[in-house]
Amino acid sequence: MSQVIVIGAGLSGLVAAIKSAEGGQQVTLISKGLGGLQLSQGTIDIHEQGLAGLESPAPHPYAAIGAENVLAGVKYLAKLLGPEFLVGDAKKNVYLPTAVGAIRPTALIPPSMAAGSVRDGAKWLIVGLRRLKDFNASLIAGNLSRLELPGGGSLSARALTIDVVAREGEVDSSALTFARAFDTPDFRQRLVAAIKPELQPGEAVGLPAILGVKQHDFWRELQASLGCEVFEIPLPPPSVPGMRLNEALTAKAKALGVRFVLGSYVSGFTAAGGKLVSVTVATTGAPQEFKADKFIYAPGGFESGALAMDSHYEITEKVFGLPLHGVAPVEELILPDYWDEQPVFKVGVSVDKQMRPLDAAGKPVYANLHAIGGIIGGAIRWKEKSGEGIALGSAWAATEGSENV
Amino acid sequence: MRKLSADVVVVGGGATGSGVVRDCAMRGYKAILVERGDLGHGTSARFHGLLHSGGRYVVADPESGAECARENAILKRIHADAVEATGGFFFQIEGDDESFADKFIEGAKIAKLPYQEITAAELLKREPRCNPKATRVMEVEDGTIDGWQLVWGACRSAEAYGAQILTYHQVTGIDVVGGKVQSVRCLDRKSGEEVVIDTAYVINCSGPWAGQVAALAGCHDVNVVPGRGVMVAMSHRLVNSVVNRLVKPADGDIIVPVHTVCIIGTTDVKVEDPDNLELPRAEVQKMLDAGELMVPGFRESRAVHAWAGARPLIKDDRVDASDTRHMSRGMAILDHETRDGVGGILTIGGGKLTTYRLMAKNITDVMVEKLGDDRPCRTDQEPVPGSENGKNYQVSHRLHDREEDRLEDQIICECELMSRKMFTELLRANPDASFDDLRRQLRLGMGPCQGGFCSLRATGIACAEGGWSADKATAALRLFLKNRWIGLWPILHGDQLRQAALDSWMISGTLNVESLPASEEVVL
Repeated sequence: MSQVIVIGAGLSGLVAAIKSAEGGQQVTLISKGLGGLQLSQGTIDIHEQGLAGLESPAPHPYAAIGAENVLAGVKYLAKLLGPEFLVGDAKKNVYLPTAVGAIRPTALIPPSMAAGSVRDGAKWLIVGLRRLKDFNASLIAGNLSRLELPGGGSLSARALTIDVVAREGEVDSSALTFARAFDTPDFRQRLVAAIKPELQPGEAVGLPAILGVKQHDFWRELQASLGCEVFEIPLPPPSVPGMRLNEALTAKAKALGVRFVLGSYVSGFTAAGGKLVSVTVATTGAPQEFKADKFIYAPGGFESGALAMDSHYEITEKVFGLPLHGVAPVEELILPDYWDEQPVFKVGVSVDKQMRPLDAAGKPVYANLHAIGGIIGGAIRWKEKSGEGIALGSAWAATEGSENV
Repeated sequence: MRKLSADVVVVGGGATGSGVVRDCAMRGYKAILVERGDLGHGTSARFHGLLHSGGRYVVADPESGAECARENAILKRIHADAVEATGGFFFQIEGDDESFADKFIEGAKIAKLPYQEITAAELLKREPRCNPKATRVMEVEDGTIDGWQLVWGACRSAEAYGAQILTYHQVTGIDVVGGKVQSVRCLDRKSGEEVVIDTAYVINCSGPWAGQVAALAGCHDVNVVPGRGVMVAMSHRLVNSVVNRLVKPADGDIIVPVHTVCIIGTTDVKVEDPDNLELPRAEVQKMLDAGELMVPGFRESRAVHAWAGARPLIKDDRVDASDTRHMSRGMAILDHETRDGVGGILTIGGGKLTTYRLMAKNITDVMVEKLGDDRPCRTDQEPVPGSENGKNYQVSHRLHDREEDRLEDQIICECELMSRKMFTELLRANPDASFDDLRRQLRLGMGPCQGGFCSLRATGIACAEGGWSADKATAALRLFLKNRWIGLWPILHGDQLRQAALDSWMISGTLNVESLPASEEVVL
């Protein structure tokens, strides 16, 4: 049985691990942290421009990944998790409200967000929780009401702030605390009691994304009790929808026999004959060496520390010292206007069709090293809303892409 | 148009102006302070936060050192809540000119500066991050002072004595009739209204802008030479005392622990326009190198923010050099009656924050004398509101407060431990404030996340509890993010670049702030 090592526990790493394990390979997943999913909005972005975005030219990651691999990767995830977790059409963006009252384009979404897909003439009651500081109904409703919707039209939103307690004696509860409370019938009853008298006919209710951690259909019960549509709006971290995806994918990986080595970073590696032989992991006690036939590197970008700039403005990839694309003098990378695109965040590795990092001559650095997700340069994911599309497309291409023999 | 009248109008809401308005009010004059931005908007808060012991000056100018030592003791008392009595060290590193240490001792004795020489081992015991190649070390009474807290304290004291403080009031004209000042015209920038203040006296404390203000009264060619100083804040306190190099004062030779951060300063580059202070990366690099020398590892510690201030040096050949009665070291008072034939206006420049009270006293003394009054200065005798108990703050004071109220109140800014109540109370008192105005008093967004988490919360609260429209709150959020970036991009690397990526994932990725429609309201 061939051995695969995946480094990184975000969306791309988990999916690559599952895909490899399904293919009969023995997979070890090594991760320093919890993975980026719980920092995410919990939906699957492909591109703000929809399918047209998949045709982005090089050095955009989509040029190497290819549209068909992106769509295949997204389809794979949707099938893996099922409609309990993700609904929608990869080829058609929807616009969902954000916790500041903007709207953002995304492709696949949890069913608990579906009723928040914007449409002309919608009437929404945005419900904030007094003890949850990251979601302010007045701001969200106010901004949503002044939006012109894509394709024209507008919606009307009004704000309601209620004080439903998640944990007795606590006024500063996190989204996770609320989500755990939501899994109890008592909390849901109190929530309904506070919202129902304020609800007007024809309104849908928008809530912060706290509609359960463990159980994924209690929100349907809330809909039934309120007698209206309900949707949740993603929050800054900790992201409950992201945690749900993470837990589901981690469980699938474990069920397939993926071995997890958590809380440890890769501190070194060995290579021979143009191939990686092993990585050294700084596990507690003593460093441990892991050998494999194939290495899938899914560490994220600057946000995870996989890419770093030192005080002399030199940028390095921290584990393998891979060649980076997009490097330039700092004056060209970090610009004085906040609203400008910051080119530094386009720095990353460039890859071939099998997602192998390339050297300056365009040759794979190691024949059996594949880099996926945020480490691939060429896109500012948060701006163009392409993070999950790149993660899934590259995970697919590195494990079963048409080009990957 | 709004009409007001005053005995004296003080122009400029920095340390000097705040000190002058307080001094005037305490001496019984009806005083109005006008400031074109917020209090402490300019030089007075764009510094490193050092409350000088005087040690920096004892070699070159012992009298200046003595002045600092006296004022240091006074400020610790009257501005107790703005000061952290950290103590400080001057230390040499192998290779430094050893004779400078002897000169320091000589100067300190002349200046009667409290100091003691300690061993390098003692320094390293108390500040373990300092360069282990330390040789000679002097312990002094340096402290740190919050410039905003100082300015607000002085202004609140002035208000208690009947003064009016008008922020966001820009002076647009000074009317001179028959060779004497008659009134000051201002624009209330928040309301757009014109404000005319009848007054017989103007004290121009506008620092680097002093030449522009004097010119409004027809007093030309006040030669202000703004000297730009760059400061870099690190995300935590690498030292808990002020550390200075024991060498001839140079660039980047002081590290000052202020609140949750430590700040290295500074540079001195002559610039033309105090409104456009660049933050060149070359100067940031210079600070990182200088920090590395004092505290090894400084370079790769986390730089969190940078800023530049403009020293308000006045080089005026028409200043009467023989008239030293009213002069404090490094400061200049211009009497425009003798200089330009315009009565009722004085200009002050130069100086340092530590001696702000003395500067205010000196220029107020000049006015009092010219008016033929006999009203002595009392500003050193009573504490400003909030400092009555005489206790200097400690870095842990907010942690203490949050431990007290954590079950009753939310923490809106975790980095700086700012509670919801702190924010809503200040917002209620200043409903027209921008988030930066609130930040200066609350430290909102000044910690490692630089507004990533707290700016959204502040926006929401302003909307829900401050009565702001979503339109206005969004404009304020945008301005705040843009302004935070001004002090971020020049230092961005390492962990702070990583933070910027995380913040972008939230603000752009999850929230899509940039897609919000433009606001109709303008937030200053």
